[in-house]
Amino acid sequence: MPSNIVKKFKNKQTLSRLKSRDKEVFTEVYDANVSDIHRFVYFKIGSREEANDLTSIIFLKTWDHIQKNTLEDAKTLRALLYKVARNAIIDYYRERGSHKPISLDDEENPIDIAADMSQSDKIDDDQDLKRIVSKLPFLKEEYREIIIMRFINDLSLEEISDITQKSRGNVRVLLHRALSALKDLIEPKPNA
Amino acid sequence: MTDKDLISKLNTLKNVNPDSSWLTSNRELFLAQISNSGADKLSGGQVFFINLKSFLKASSQPVFALGVFMLVLVASSIFGHKLFSQAKPNDSLYIARIISEKAKLNTLLNPEEKNKLAVKFATNHAQDISAVLSDPSFNNEENKDQVAKLSDSFNKEIETVKKIVNASVAKSYKTETSTNEPVEMSEEAVAIATEYKTEQGIQIKENEASRQAPVINAGAAIKTEQTTTSTETKATSSVEIKVEAEADAKINEADKIIDEAKESFNNKDYHSVIDKLNEVTEIIK
Repeated sequence: MPSNIVKKFKNKQTLSRLKSRDKEVFTEVYDANVSDIHRFVYFKIGSREEANDLTSIIFLKTWDHIQKNTLEDAKTLRALLYKVARNAIIDYYRERGSHKPISLDDEENPIDIAADMSQSDKIDDDQDLKRIVSKLPFLKEEYREIIIMRFINDLSLEEISDITQKSRGNVRVLLHRALSALKDLIEPKPNA
Repeated sequence: MTDKDLISKLNTLKNVNPDSSWLTSNRELFLAQISNSGADKLSGGQVFFINLKSFLKASSQPVFALGVFMLVLVASSIFGHKLFSQAKPNDSLYIARIISEKAKLNTLLNPEEKNKLAVKFATNHAQDISAVLSDPSFNNEENKDQVAKLSDSFNKEIETVKKIVNASVAKSYKTETSTNEPVEMSEEAVAIATEYKTEQGIQIKENEASRQAPVINAGAAIKTEQTTTSTETKATSSVEIKVEAEADAKINEADKIIDEAKESFNNKDYHSVIDKLNEVTEIIK
């Protein structure tokens, strides 16, 4: 119970300070979330350059949203950032006029894994990982999004529920289906 | 590949990060943009207020409400009486003052203290009513109903003062007689007291000039005893009479001043009323 109150307190405190145009706290928020948001956008749209631009827009839009609204529409700041990110991606698709999946192992736009990656196996050496990354864009949008949020960006079920406006039960079911769908793409079942 | 393996592989993708040079340049650009829109560092006071508000909200709605309620309760108990005590009879907070005074009276166990405070309150009320009625902007044809009500209230307060003064002054003198302080006695009482102490344990101061030894023989003993009893009674009675006389004098004085105050009130000499009531307060101290 006390840790729950501490979390709630920190969240309310951060939102209140942002509402008061506290530059210092927004800098902290930016530093803590920029990599996650960038990763989310990158795996959704598949282009690093576009992900860079969209990430900047997302943070500016979030700042704007906080100043103009009562902040009742998000339980946590992280959830708010993801909501703004989802909407920004929808706008991006609308502007592009297309919604086709983009391969993430496109040679012209290779995945640029950070040099300080902690895994001993890099993606090129891990065939399984390479296969997963190549098939991810072909997943249904809803499934891909939930896999990115849960297994890549480590969001909790509660946060995903808040972001997607779905119940926790629905989110669990969706996750199960998303994993099955991805597995089918990676390891297609032979025809009977 | 099992689900567990798949999830484990997906987890490794959290190491995919944006380019560090882009991170640095974008950060500076972003901070510049929000500064232009009015972002700045908050003062210590603002941060403190935000922290307090956030803590109360984070606790939970019922706890927040309880916290506010407790704060109001504590604040009103500390500052409430001071606030209400200034309320005048024609103020909306006057009823709160009356309630607060009643509550204070109920907390006192000592009847003497209680009576003193009750007289003080009643006297204050009467004085406040006089002060309000002395104001020509209030005491006019427009407010004649309220003026009539206040006049009734004044009379009631005065009667309360009279009643309590009579009771408390007499009681205070009764209390005095039951103490162990030495009391001057007549010569007969001194003579008896050398042999007999009163049942109440009053110590009798010897008056050397009036010392007289009793005559002891069988017949005379009985006579002495009878004389003793009657003298003893006389001695006790004379002290009581003196005490009662003083008490009566005080009560009469207080009553007289109260009646004068009433007369001044009827003559609309409100300043005189206030002075007279101050005198009454001095008498009962």
